[in-house]
Amino acid sequence: MELDEVMEAVADRLGQIDRIAGRVFAYPPLKVEAPAGIVSYPDAIEFDATYGRGVDMMRGLEVTIVEGKISDRDARDRMAPYVAGSGTGSVKAVLEAASVAPMPWDDLHVLSVAFDVVTIAGTDYLAATFKIDLAGPGTVS
Amino acid sequence: MSVVHGRHTVFKLAAKDLSTYTTTSQLEKSADAHDITTYGQDAHVFSGGLLNGAASASGIYDSATSIGPRAVIDPLVGTVVTLLRQVEGAGSGKPQDVVQVLITKYTETNPVADMVTWAVDLQLSGTIDATPQP
Repeated sequence: MELDEVMEAVADRLGQIDRIAGRVFAYPPLKVEAPAGIVSYPDAIEFDATYGRGVDMMRGLEVTIVEGKISDRDARDRMAPYVAGSGTGSVKAVLEAASVAPMPWDDLHVLSVAFDVVTIAGTDYLAATFKIDLAGPGTVS
Repeated sequence: MSVVHGRHTVFKLAAKDLSTYTTTSQLEKSADAHDITTYGQDAHVFSGGLLNGAASASGIYDSATSIGPRAVIDPLVGTVVTLLRQVEGAGSGKPQDVVQVLITKYTETNPVADMVTWAVDLQLSGTIDATPQP
């Protein structure tokens, strides 16, 4: 399970959400304009969950959705589908969906979402940051 | 002489290598103890009897249909198969234990917020071949 492949694949999946299609970064960008999705680094990669390099764990991979101004009521309404537990705009549902194509991971679990305010070009934007755990092969295929 | 990390352990059951699905394993070697204490002794005296033992392993479930823990172990519950365990990993001259075992229990556990896990309990049947790896 390679970090770059995981972050790229997560970003690709995130791009399936219509509102942020084409506005997803597979790394923390220098500049961003809302709405956007950002895949950032995990808290940790834990090696050797099993004998023989069978399974590694990637803990706390972060995906952040940046939406409208924090003081904008519409921003709340636009954020709601991202943080819903299901639906075509749900980050959890889109990322955890079964895939026909092989993924760099065996299992992806969206654990939680927390809300924050990010300041971009002097404007406060509503942001939601998802924490994700992944399990995958320890050996690179 | 040096310490050995557990991640190198090799665990095979019925000639199938389950190492990459395994997080812990244990091999217990024991013996019957016969009390042969007679009059005039100040303490119990024992004599060794038949050897015995048990083994167990557990790990992370995998959906592999031919080599995953369910595919390998589930059909073999109640049968006697070969256990091979290499406590220091694979390598010429390193120790290994090979023994027939009766698979007495196979367990799958599904916590809501974690990976599915598996576990197996094994009763040793016969003596252990502890010849080091060729």
